[in-house]
Amino acid sequence: MAVGDGRMKTDTLLETLENALTPVVRAPSPGRGMLLWIAVTVPSLAAMVWMMGPLPDIAALLVRPEFLLVQGLAVGTAVLAAYGALCAGRPDQPGWKTVLPFAAALLWAAALGRQCFVLAIGGQGSALVVQPDLICVPAIAASALPSALAILWVLRRGTSFRRVRACLCAALAAAAAAQAALRLYHPDGTFATMLVWQIGSVGLWTLVGAALTRLSLPRPQPMRAS
Amino acid sequence: MVADPAWSEWLAAAQEGDRRAYGRLLRAAVPVLRGWARARWPAASAADIEDIVQETLLALHRSLALYDPARPAAPFLFGILKLRGADVLRQRHRHSRRETPIDDADETSVAFDTNAVQESHVEQARLRAAIALLPPRDREILEMLKLRQMSLRDVAGQLHMSVPAVKIASFRAVRRLRAAMKWPSGTGA
Repeated sequence: MAVGDGRMKTDTLLETLENALTPVVRAPSPGRGMLLWIAVTVPSLAAMVWMMGPLPDIAALLVRPEFLLVQGLAVGTAVLAAYGALCAGRPDQPGWKTVLPFAAALLWAAALGRQCFVLAIGGQGSALVVQPDLICVPAIAASALPSALAILWVLRRGTSFRRVRACLCAALAAAAAAQAALRLYHPDGTFATMLVWQIGSVGLWTLVGAALTRLSLPRPQPMRAS
Repeated sequence: MVADPAWSEWLAAAQEGDRRAYGRLLRAAVPVLRGWARARWPAASAADIEDIVQETLLALHRSLALYDPARPAAPFLFGILKLRGADVLRQRHRHSRRETPIDDADETSVAFDTNAVQESHVEQARLRAAIALLPPRDREILEMLKLRQMSLRDVAGQLHMSVPAVKIASFRAVRRLRAAMKWPSGTGA
């Protein structure tokens, strides 16, 4: 009898579960999973920046506080999202850990938006001009792929709960990390362009990646009594 | 959140494949899970509570690999109960919106559209079978008068009969039809 359609008695279920027990390999904790993800993501993104060629003025950029703030928020979003994705599948982890990355992402977008606004009212109206920057979409996807695969591999080992949140966080982690790397090899253009194309690409790939991740996660199979 | 401190050991042993420890854990957990479920969803029926407990046990079985023995077992089990319980009740609520309770309805109630349609189809089939048993002239007269709703005068003109003759023929045809359908005289047709 399958549990879920014809309901079996709880005592029968206990016996079934007891007899069906096999040793299991413990899934890595969210902290360890995140370290594993960082270990894959950082070298893969560094390789991407090296292959594409870092910006000529990268040294000057790395000392600009507004650049560092936005990059810090992007990296923070990525790390929190990766941790949130790995916590989402754990029943003993609180739900706020899966919401926090999206708050960080909003803060990140708000920081970019603020810089855009400040430049616009400071007389540089060109900050509000949105130029076509289609390369952001495939560049973020290509940069995000290794880290997305890494987090998917960890998620496949243990995500039975809050799957949608886990997938959204995982995709956001990969996309945010890829966007942070993109700014090291791709010129920004105007702030509005960056806001629309780069953050837009992160949003797009978060949704697409979440849908693909969800399809890739194994679905729980119904139990059958022996 | 009261739980036996041995639960962590039993869960860790279950991860190693120890069926006795697992059985002990499951049996000890069931009443506690029922209590937690009742406290969390006081409006849920006894059947719903049992469903939630069973779903929790199943989810625990599938998620054994996720348990970290360094952490307490009770929040792990309570977390499963909370997440699975919400799923069960959401699913129940979704299904209840698509379902119509039929316990109080008569089996042959005309409240069911399918009954009315089915009965009408059965009657039509009986009528067609009975008409097929009638002589050709009776069939012709009934078809003209009852199905095509022609007047007596028109039928008489088409069949080269007088109007009284059509009336008599029609009366006999209806009587034979009733007999074929085994209806008492004075009803229907």
